[in-house]
Amino acid sequence: MPRNPQKPSADPTRPTVLAQGDGNALALDGELGIATLADARSALKHWSKPEHGRTLDLSGLRSLDTPGALFLRDLRLQGVSLTGVRAEHKSLLDLICGLDLVPLPKVPSVGRWRQLVVQIGKGGHDVARAAVDVTTFVGRTASWTLRGLVHPASLRPGSISRHVAETGIQALPIIGLMAVMIAVVIGYQGVAQLRRFGGEDFTINLVAVSVLREMAVIITAIMVAGRSGSAFTAEIGVMKTRQEVDALQVMGMEPMQVLVVPRVIALVITLPLLTFFADIMGLLGGAVISQFLLDMSPTQYLARLPQVVDGSDFFVGLFKAPVFAFFIASIACMHGLKVTGSAESVGRETTRAVVKAIFLVLALDAMFSIVFEKMGI
Amino acid sequence: MTARTMTKAKTILSARGISNRFGHQVVHDNLSLDIMRGEIIGIAGGSGSGKSVLLRTLVGLHEPDAGEILINGKAVQSIGADEIASLIGVLFQQGALFSSLTVAQNIIVPMREHSAVATDEQERIAAMKLALAGLPAEAGIKFPAALSGGMVKRAAFARALALDPKILFLDEPTSDLDPIAASGIDALIRQLNDSLGVTVVIVTHDLTTLFTICDRIAVLVDRNVTVATVEKLMKSDHPWIHEFFHGPRAEGAMKARKASHGK
Repeated sequence: MPRNPQKPSADPTRPTVLAQGDGNALALDGELGIATLADARSALKHWSKPEHGRTLDLSGLRSLDTPGALFLRDLRLQGVSLTGVRAEHKSLLDLICGLDLVPLPKVPSVGRWRQLVVQIGKGGHDVARAAVDVTTFVGRTASWTLRGLVHPASLRPGSISRHVAETGIQALPIIGLMAVMIAVVIGYQGVAQLRRFGGEDFTINLVAVSVLREMAVIITAIMVAGRSGSAFTAEIGVMKTRQEVDALQVMGMEPMQVLVVPRVIALVITLPLLTFFADIMGLLGGAVISQFLLDMSPTQYLARLPQVVDGSDFFVGLFKAPVFAFFIASIACMHGLKVTGSAESVGRETTRAVVKAIFLVLALDAMFSIVFEKMGI
Repeated sequence: MTARTMTKAKTILSARGISNRFGHQVVHDNLSLDIMRGEIIGIAGGSGSGKSVLLRTLVGLHEPDAGEILINGKAVQSIGADEIASLIGVLFQQGALFSSLTVAQNIIVPMREHSAVATDEQERIAAMKLALAGLPAEAGIKFPAALSGGMVKRAAFARALALDPKILFLDEPTSDLDPIAASGIDALIRQLNDSLGVTVVIVTHDLTTLFTICDRIAVLVDRNVTVATVEKLMKSDHPWIHEFFHGPRAEGAMKARKASHGK
């Protein structure tokens, strides 16, 4: 609801408080409250040193709030006797004077260097624990998924198909668009560099090989980790906060089997399919580049393609997709199940899941590159 | 009961002809309610009878489909931010404490926003509000997540009181609390009403709260309110009101009322 912000100062109707009289007998007139606290303090400045025999007459006070009463309490503790307290202020003043007031304790502060050391230690410990958690959970997921495949009756086809639709079909437009764009980007850079050596025709090799081997699967995996991984974590996390996961367990259903396995299987099905789609769209992007930068017609481009890429390029890319899918889904589900009661932990775990999944996708990809290189594929 | 009895019978908040609809469902139909300065008024009603919507309407969070809310004769929507903050305090059902701030910082937020008090003074006032709400000073440096249910309510109380509001709105102040903590909250409401003279509007299901501390009760039935004292409502022949005040749970609460009013 929009409200007009008003600043408390420069307001003619601003409440005022005045101290009248002299020496050790003063009278406070007006309104003593949070808005006039500073005025009251400055009006009684010459009373800052405690001295006996001072009196403050309050019969002229029209209003008093709790900060004002706190101010009067301090005066009383300094030996000032408050006189002429109006009936309507008496119970408030009694209440505040009767409170057992202790100043707020100071938060223990840690030295900056010490804090740095503590944080590095904590960070290291967290990484180590995360590594153990991921390994354990990935192992459990693998075991439950295998169990599901051995006993197909325990699988939940309805749940799997819903997740296939949500993670696959609905992601098609965005993944197609990204694949075309990445091919265009690589194409432009390739032409600019290769033209210097008179080899701009090799741009096709560059685009086709990098799209098929790396770009299509990486782009798809990162998109799916951001899109579906976060959704998995949030869905399971919300179920966790509402105790739905506990309800499953007391009804004799295993959350791993009911929540995790269908998501893992669904993503293992969809990510290769999405990667294949991204391959096609990436090559299409290559055709666009060839037309505009190399003056090569789509037919010529199509004829060139089989000469520059072979089946292994295609299969190397596609082979990685189900592996990435398995890890993305496992990590997303793991963080979903890690959610504790509060709503903010859903957000925190979702962020962690996405960051960890994307990191793992890139780490695995680097490992694959090395392995394939050694194998000579 | 000093502050209460003497400033009574002056309207501080009045709701005129409030209607609220959600789709085809009519929640309030031409509802009018006057709240008197210094009283404790309870708003009761069955689940889904629109208690929370009424509370949101009264504090200006929800704009009614028809009708207006006047606080001290001014339409609630037209009151400026500083004025509304020092006029009303709301205790939300879950406390609604800012989770990223400590309890003391939570209490300081409205002071920092709407007054020109120095930082050390703010901390002293925050410590005073904590004591007023019955919390130890150590609770001030804790984060809301580290507090128990009863302490969250008290901390939220302290924040609602930060600017010494004239009207305090409490949404289910005793829900989710054990009976001892709930009685403590009831006593706190009573004490604040007595010594600060603050007008209190309580939305609650808690019969003990309604019977022991409320001066009047507004019962939401048939999309409108019936406002009266407990004694009069006990004699009402409306079936729902009769059931509410004579059901098995009402008897225990009635005993508590007799105990607290008898002394």
